[in-house]
Amino acid sequence: MNKKVSRRDLLKGIGFGIGAAALAACTPAAPAATSAPQPTSAPAAGGSDAAITYWGFNGTLGKTEDDMVTMYHAAQSAVKVDRQVQGSYEETAQKLTAALAAKTAPDLALLSDVWWFKFYRAKVLMPLNDLAAGAGIDGSDFVPSLWSEGVRKGAQYWIPFARSTPLFYYNVDMFQAAGLPDRGPKTWAEFDEWAPKLLKKDGATIKTAAFAHTGAASYNAWIFQGVIWQFGGEYSTPDFKIELLAPDSIRSAQFYQDTVDKFGWAVTAKDAQKDFITGLTAATILSTGGLTGILKDAAFKVGTAFLPEEKQFGCPTGGAGLSILTGTSTEKAQAAAKFIAYATGKEGGAFWSQNTGYMPVRKSTANSDSYIKYFQTYPQTKTAVDQLPKTRPQDAARVFIPGGDQIIGKGLERIITGKENVATVWKDVTAQLDKEAEPVKKDLIALGA
Amino acid sequence: MQLTKHDFSASIAGRIRRDWREWLIFLAFAGPNVALFAIFTYAPMVNNLILSFNDWNMISSDKAWVGLQNYIDVFTDSQFSRIFLNTIVFTAASVTLVLALGLGGGLLLNQKLRGRNAARSILFSPHILSGAAIAIVWIYIFDPRFGLIYAVLHPLGIQSPNWLTDPNWSMPAIVIVYVWKYLGYATVIYIAGLQAIPGDLYEAARVDGAGAWMRFRHVTLPGLSPVMFFLVLTSILSSFQSFDIINIMTKGGPINSTNTLIYHLYELGFINFSIGRAGVIGMILFVLMFVVTLLQLRYLDRQVNYA
Repeated sequence: MNKKVSRRDLLKGIGFGIGAAALAACTPAAPAATSAPQPTSAPAAGGSDAAITYWGFNGTLGKTEDDMVTMYHAAQSAVKVDRQVQGSYEETAQKLTAALAAKTAPDLALLSDVWWFKFYRAKVLMPLNDLAAGAGIDGSDFVPSLWSEGVRKGAQYWIPFARSTPLFYYNVDMFQAAGLPDRGPKTWAEFDEWAPKLLKKDGATIKTAAFAHTGAASYNAWIFQGVIWQFGGEYSTPDFKIELLAPDSIRSAQFYQDTVDKFGWAVTAKDAQKDFITGLTAATILSTGGLTGILKDAAFKVGTAFLPEEKQFGCPTGGAGLSILTGTSTEKAQAAAKFIAYATGKEGGAFWSQNTGYMPVRKSTANSDSYIKYFQTYPQTKTAVDQLPKTRPQDAARVFIPGGDQIIGKGLERIITGKENVATVWKDVTAQLDKEAEPVKKDLIALGA
Repeated sequence: MQLTKHDFSASIAGRIRRDWREWLIFLAFAGPNVALFAIFTYAPMVNNLILSFNDWNMISSDKAWVGLQNYIDVFTDSQFSRIFLNTIVFTAASVTLVLALGLGGGLLLNQKLRGRNAARSILFSPHILSGAAIAIVWIYIFDPRFGLIYAVLHPLGIQSPNWLTDPNWSMPAIVIVYVWKYLGYATVIYIAGLQAIPGDLYEAARVDGAGAWMRFRHVTLPGLSPVMFFLVLTSILSSFQSFDIINIMTKGGPINSTNTLIYHLYELGFINFSIGRAGVIGMILFVLMFVVTLLQLRYLDRQVNYA
């Protein structure tokens, strides 16, 4: 009898146990649901006026950013920045999307040229004009072309921070050995003359290429943005009319294909930066953002130059900027704006740019004493700053159409690596871009832009 | 020993109590699992089905019901047939190779050889490494100008292919890495299967005059059939879902040559943020795996000899 009761008690106990477990499983969800609308209303921790969460760079760039945040904390105590790493630009955007749905978004996020617009369209970015003014950020001190890229309908949503342009990189030692001048080619025609002298082959195998192309995974559509302009073409007009089938656009892609196929002096690299550093290619076009790393790792003298011209000069801007999310409280938004002021300014901004290769985004930073000295030590870094006034914002097709970068990039792969007919590929790409542009156009009409 | 009315009702009450108790026991054992499945498998599946009929970018507050439009978009995409074919090629090649080489490895390492345990450990070790780490190492191995494969082929006068940038070689490259990672696992399962075959069956076969091939054909293979069935099923399902290696090594490229359904799902959902179309791919994968599992249960199971 006793035994029977105890067994029943045991089962009862199990029953309660399950119930309790179920309750326990529910409890964390309940408060989260109720407190969700104000995720950032928690009091500031750590004795500072405001603590903000910032999602920034990963890898070596992230380490430099960490150093900059440490400097910022040493310089003031009002704002505490909790810098968190989510991964690449793509991964940061993915996690931010998920975090917005879960109401756990950060206060401040690093968004790349192709991503910030998606969040603007979703109306989750804060207009920054008043906040910037309050934090002493003077828009007119910024490089105008960079500053204006983050403006929609007169409001600033995206402040330039880690901004870059493509640069022509060349191996000075190899250029010298080939009897070429220590400068970049003025035109692609000139480089076509130089290239055979730079090319080294072992039978049919290219040992050292004259030039290395990047693949779609390394943003080849960004590099090619400059090239298509140089030939007089464009990806699209600002109102999303795709222009890939225009004669000059076709000509530019045909040239890219020829460099590999017909002229045979270029290769498509898995990692063009690595190929350049290890001497597998004599020249390449890469972001300024990799410059400091390349200068550090290359065992030869590195030269940088403006992009080559064809019909005209063409070079896009790129990189990433900072945006404040709408879920952020006023107090934290103000703190985030102060951090932006530091990260783009004379101390933080100069430290950041000099240690990465990204361009100084403010004129006062580029003209500061520390920068003048820096240019003297590393003259290669000045190329990007000199080239900057000649750059322009990218075509809408790449930066505003969701997935536009990869759609164009994969088309380029079909042309360069797959040796497919240029017009056929661009026709496919145009159809895809047209289709993906539809929702963007609709949203823009809804936003009244 | 006479049943009174009182006793009768008491026994009914007892039975109800017993039934109730059995239910509780059932709930206690099955409940947590069922709940986990319901929350983490069935609910997302139903949700995925609903999403596949919607146009949504994951942030916008409004999801628009678009009926079958996402399905039309996915199936009329010019690259879809290629991606579908890639998935079949990748799965067929990797599963066949893993099963065949695994059987060879299993038979070899089931012999009493010197250094057998070391060899088993070495063969199995890739399986416990993360796919991402393996992929990064293999990027270097495949490099046509300084990679390990180059170092082996070059002295022989053979030119190393551009594994990861040539669309004709990228799929073989991915299959090689996948097979390398999963071979050890199949081998270990085969070894376990081989050791479960009773030794007296071999003795009896030998007494009957069966040679090595006949013993393999009529004792080993039937004896391994449950293990093989298990391996076929699990490797097909896992290769359908192989994402890490592809994402790190090729991102589906060059020119979609290694783009499989699972990577395409990621691409549509988390690069283009077209959640509806990603949902369609999710449904296609679900139906595919469901059919594969059904077919196997229906046809392969009959061939299996559960001794």
